[in-house]
Amino acid sequence: MAEKIKISTKKVNVFYGDKKALENINLEIPEKKVTSLIGPSGCGKSTFIRCLNRMNDTIDICRIEGKIIIDNEDIYSKEIDPVLLRAKVGMVFQKPNPFPKSIFENVAYGPRIHGLAKSDDELDELVTQSLVKAGLFQEIKDRIHEPGTSLSGGQQQRLCIARTIAISPQIILMDEPCSALDPIATAVIEELIDELAKNFTIVIVTHSMQQAARVSQQTAFFHMGNLIEVGLTDQIFSTPSQKKTQDYITGKIG
Amino acid sequence: MTNNLDRVELSLVGRKRSERLFKFYGFLGILIAFLFLITILYSVISQGQKAFFTTFIKVNIFFDSEIIDPQNQRNDEDIRYANFNKIITESLKKKFPENLNKNDSKELSSFISNSEADYLSEFVVKNKDYIGKYKNMWLLASSNIDVIVKNPEMEDLDEEDRLISDKQLGWLNQIRLNKELKKELNKNFFTKADSTEPEQAGIWGSLVGSFLTLLITLILSFPVAVAAGVFLEELAPKNKFTEFLEVNINNLAAVPSIIFGLLGLAIFLNIMHLPRSAPIVGGMVLALMTLPTIIIATRSSLKSVPPSIREAAIGLGATRFQSVVDHVLPLAIPGIMTGTIIGMSRALGESAPLLMIGMVAFIVDVPTTFLDSSTALPVQIYLWKSTAARGFVELTAAGVIVLLVFLILMNGLAVFIRQKFEKKW
Repeated sequence: MAEKIKISTKKVNVFYGDKKALENINLEIPEKKVTSLIGPSGCGKSTFIRCLNRMNDTIDICRIEGKIIIDNEDIYSKEIDPVLLRAKVGMVFQKPNPFPKSIFENVAYGPRIHGLAKSDDELDELVTQSLVKAGLFQEIKDRIHEPGTSLSGGQQQRLCIARTIAISPQIILMDEPCSALDPIATAVIEELIDELAKNFTIVIVTHSMQQAARVSQQTAFFHMGNLIEVGLTDQIFSTPSQKKTQDYITGKIG
Repeated sequence: MTNNLDRVELSLVGRKRSERLFKFYGFLGILIAFLFLITILYSVISQGQKAFFTTFIKVNIFFDSEIIDPQNQRNDEDIRYANFNKIITESLKKKFPENLNKNDSKELSSFISNSEADYLSEFVVKNKDYIGKYKNMWLLASSNIDVIVKNPEMEDLDEEDRLISDKQLGWLNQIRLNKELKKELNKNFFTKADSTEPEQAGIWGSLVGSFLTLLITLILSFPVAVAAGVFLEELAPKNKFTEFLEVNINNLAAVPSIIFGLLGLAIFLNIMHLPRSAPIVGGMVLALMTLPTIIIATRSSLKSVPPSIREAAIGLGATRFQSVVDHVLPLAIPGIMTGTIIGMSRALGESAPLLMIGMVAFIVDVPTTFLDSSTALPVQIYLWKSTAARGFVELTAAGVIVLLVFLILMNGLAVFIRQKFEKKW
């Protein structure tokens, strides 16, 4: 691959207490592309994605070895502030989790705590732009001060995306963002991911192989805490080099 | 297949029977609890409501200038020192023109509360024109008369078991016939503190004492407990030490309250030399007792906030503290408030620790500062219950009613807050 590499992991091992969740993960993620992580439940793909913005720090028993390098910096080195890191690496979660506040407040929260808007007008503009970019603005522009929780599931998830892009991260991590949504809402989000890939590096965990095939340029297959195979999405789905990958995408394991 | 269904049907009989039995036991339990509740409420209210009213006797007072101001100088001090008890007794005598001897005038004077002499002297000081004149006045009856009026069944008792003699009863009936008897709202009860005379004793002093005490309790325990709860639940690392703290806090919530009273006695009074019987010390002791309750309530309501809210905030680059203060705590506030009010209402009903620090004294003044000697509602009830005079029986029940009303109000507020502010997500 000729693209610039945004994230690269070197010999990453992750433990939950004594249990090893990930073993020797070496993966390179290209900039401004969509990389999807697939694999059966419990294979460690969610654990992996949560290492990329140090979300696992919040779990006391979680321990990580190896290096994760984003823009030539090891994000687990002592000099890195995880709070700063998360402003650079945003995350969208499996279940839409808007704050029980207004739509506006949901999007404004990130810019506010990071001091990204100097004035109220600037904040308004930033919120509007984020909602536009998340493809939500047209639908909700009349009720921007209504609670975010009053939206439909798909809208809530796009609100969460808007909230994430409001702080202009460079990388967006998505942990099964469509698993709680119906097919129509899923299609809307997938379109949005395509659009976002122009400006952001996206890593998406998904259960649906069709979704991986549709949205991503690179696919990595995880199994039992190991990275089995990684490659261009077309290649993984047409001519996988590993038997396990072949078995998984043809539905023999999973 | 058929065979199987038969067996299921057969087993169904037993299953349904045990379900019916369980329902019956449950219903029985509720019924018993309900009966007890009704009994308690009935006995308390039927007794206590009597204390909300008190008896007045109409007396045509003759402000005899011979007794009040024999020198005719109209001097305030002299008037105050005049024997107004005699005025009352002499005026009462005029109701019963038959010949009365010396003993009788003593029995007659005990019809009227001894507080009324002061009332009359103040009246005369302000209205000196009445000296030498008559005026019809309603005077507060003494407690013994009041009890007989409120409990007519006591008239049938033998003379030695009754609070008043046969002769007094005869006079009372005559007063009643002349319609010189009325029942009115017992102002003393709602405005005064304790007294040796039941008709002059009131709940207000202890109510203010309880209020001052609880204010201290709230100010001390709420911020400390919420901070401790947030720290332990959200910020503290999970290690042996915090685990140890956790176990101890849970144990502390189960420590008998009198132990906290002993602690208060040993530390606040004997070492720190704070004033005895004062709301500030009572409040400190009750704050110690309430702390674990609020900490536990804080932690459990923080725990019930879904982790997805924390993740959302942290994923946006909020610090752990920001995620708690901006998102988790607002969602937990209704639960914390409910726990706090429950803790406070427990503190309101608590008497044992207050006995230890001397809030059980006989206090006739309504406290005005946190350092004044004072009692609290449940202690006042306890004090009245242990007093011999018959008139305190009704006061005790009335005190219980006041306490219950405040407890119900506080618990109602807790329910209201929970329902009104609990956010759904």
